[in-house]
Amino acid sequence: MSTARPSSITRRRFLRDTSLALAAAGASPVLSAPFASRAMADTKTLTIVQWSHFVPAYDTWFDKFAKDWGEKNHIEVTVDHIPVQDVAARAAAEASAGSGHDLFGWNGAGGAHLYRKFLVDVTSLVESVEKKYGKITVIGRQIGYNQDDHTWSAFPDYYINFPVMYRKSLWDGIGMKPETWDDVRIGGAKLKQKGHPVGISLGHSNDPNTTWRGVLWSYGGAVQDEAGKHVVLDSKGSVEAVKFAAALYKEAMTSDVLSWSDASNNQYIDSGVSSLIINPISAYRTAQQLNKKVADDIFVMEPPKGPVRRLMGGASEFYGIWKFGKNQEAAIEFLKYYADHWIEAFKASSGYNNPIFANIVPKPMPLLSDDPTSTPRDKLAALQTSDEWSAVPGYPGPATPATDEVYNDFIICDMMAKAATGAMTAEDSVKWAAQQCEAILTKWQQKT
Amino acid sequence: MVTIAEPVTKPGSRFRYILDRRGTLGAVFVAPAILYVLLLVGGPFLLAVYYSVSAYTIYDPSWRFVGLANFAQIVKNPVFLETLGNTFLFTFGSQLLGLILGKFGAFLLMRPFAGRKIVRALIILPWAVPIALASVAWEWMFDSLYSVINWSMIALGIINRSDAPNWLGNPHLAMLCVIIVNAWRFFPFAIVIFLAGITSVPQDIIDAATVDGAGFWRRNYQIVLPLILPIVAVGLIFGIVFTFTDLSIVYLLTNGGPVNATSVLGFRGFQVGIVSGDVSHGAAISLFMLPVLLIVVIVVLRFIRRREV
Repeated sequence: MSTARPSSITRRRFLRDTSLALAAAGASPVLSAPFASRAMADTKTLTIVQWSHFVPAYDTWFDKFAKDWGEKNHIEVTVDHIPVQDVAARAAAEASAGSGHDLFGWNGAGGAHLYRKFLVDVTSLVESVEKKYGKITVIGRQIGYNQDDHTWSAFPDYYINFPVMYRKSLWDGIGMKPETWDDVRIGGAKLKQKGHPVGISLGHSNDPNTTWRGVLWSYGGAVQDEAGKHVVLDSKGSVEAVKFAAALYKEAMTSDVLSWSDASNNQYIDSGVSSLIINPISAYRTAQQLNKKVADDIFVMEPPKGPVRRLMGGASEFYGIWKFGKNQEAAIEFLKYYADHWIEAFKASSGYNNPIFANIVPKPMPLLSDDPTSTPRDKLAALQTSDEWSAVPGYPGPATPATDEVYNDFIICDMMAKAATGAMTAEDSVKWAAQQCEAILTKWQQKT
Repeated sequence: MVTIAEPVTKPGSRFRYILDRRGTLGAVFVAPAILYVLLLVGGPFLLAVYYSVSAYTIYDPSWRFVGLANFAQIVKNPVFLETLGNTFLFTFGSQLLGLILGKFGAFLLMRPFAGRKIVRALIILPWAVPIALASVAWEWMFDSLYSVINWSMIALGIINRSDAPNWLGNPHLAMLCVIIVNAWRFFPFAIVIFLAGITSVPQDIIDAATVDGAGFWRRNYQIVLPLILPIVAVGLIFGIVFTFTDLSIVYLLTNGGPVNATSVLGFRGFQVGIVSGDVSHGAAISLFMLPVLLIVVIVVLRFIRRREV
């Protein structure tokens, strides 16, 4: 009988074996690097990151479009989609690391001006597209243009407009149409009595940030002046806008709106509860899939008119090319090709993406003026004029890191909410918001 | 008589000799952990200090010394002061609730009952589920339109639809919600701590107290709890540090709203420093946590030492 002695692991043997294993693991990248880098050099790559679009069909189209372009040009294209709320943090991470995607697609505020020093100057690209497809719109200019040296930090892709969506049968029932903000308040109060309140979020997200700016502008208020040098928020117009918001909240809405996310108002109207919301047409498109009866009753028109003007916030979308991007030339070529096929992008988004260049989608736009999925077919026709009633956060001045911080801090939403909930008077709320904006503007003026 | 031969010392390398020393080997084994802490905690901390006394932004990533100007600016802001207050309420509220739930949970789990093992496994779930997923579930439970909590209360006839609480829309209720969710996440940890503590109490002490006439409450609050306090205190330090620096629940559930009622330091530091690109002010906001946490940790550790003495 043999007695096999179990192998004992000595401290020395353990150390020897683990150090050998660690050394092997550590050395493997060094050993494989020459082969890997040669393989990388043989295949050109273009990496793109952008938000997960609210119209999923657009992402499907874009991914295929980018891949097909890559195959034609022998470039391996990868497109990553991230949740919209992660875009800002992702951009900060890539800029800080000096590494990431070649082409970065921003959504909403921030980006082109804040990351200016990290982005390739795309002036010649924008100018060439402008020559081909007409003058860039005001909102497009606000997105990526640097007024000081007349350069472009980003290629403006599209913007998302915020029209009114209202339940026609309900508003017909009270003999009204939400043409003005006062109509929304008066009619909304009547419809709230019938169980169909107005639904405009007073929470912390993109939609209220956009909508309440629209109300502020419509009543003659604004955060900053045209030059972007001074805060002009503490004004009669702003106080009137805040008083209106408080009245609208009390008379025509419920306290639910204080906690809403961007999806809530869509759900509110799609479920048949709400009589009116302000939102991009994704809410209507979703209703078409989920609740055809309600979708047919939802009508879309330009945002309500205020005592001073008719103006609503818009969400901007734009591409930047990182200076540290490995394939900047491919990124520029891709954007040129993309601009030439932009009308396909417009269709793929079901009219959600609005053109930035004047003639890129000639009017009348069939998708909006004669939509076969809508009853009546011209239900979305009002969206064709959205350039006239849309602006981005810096209005009437430029968008800057300061206006982006005001946006990201939800100061305008909170200004409205403080008065609406009775936490402050309209005058005090405007003063509070003006102080907050002043502090931010002063701080950034020292830094820029 | 057995003669044991003297071990033959082989000529070895100096490296091998050094590793044969117990102290040296200990240091070698502990070095990766120290390196990890230095790189992933110490490094970012020093970087935060570096940024907080500068004018560094994403827009202009060049370093310029500004002293304590960033701190002076943020303390003047009423929103920051509100945020600081919220952070204390969020941290200590959720820790207190978590400890209460943890203690009762531990007592329940110590009693034998059918399916105890399954319950023990399930109770760890809040700790194991990714917070992003858990927050989405909680968000739906508190949703203004589809809240299952409200639906149940209405169905049971406890409230009317018009009186249904607006969980995330009312400033006080929203704070209560984030506290509840954080306590829910923390309480499995508290259970583990309490279970470890209670099982370490010698049975003869409890038996002696029982013989002397001590009832359930007296045994628990005058004998068991004082004995396990040092262990609970260590768990509390972890809970406080993690909660004070956390931003995930607030970010995912309320985004700091309504009207900043749930904004906490971690969230605000992230909004200002990362999303808005003002790195120096974001770092200054985040560093405000340091003295608070330091004081808490020192006080609790001193308390533990006294108890042990």
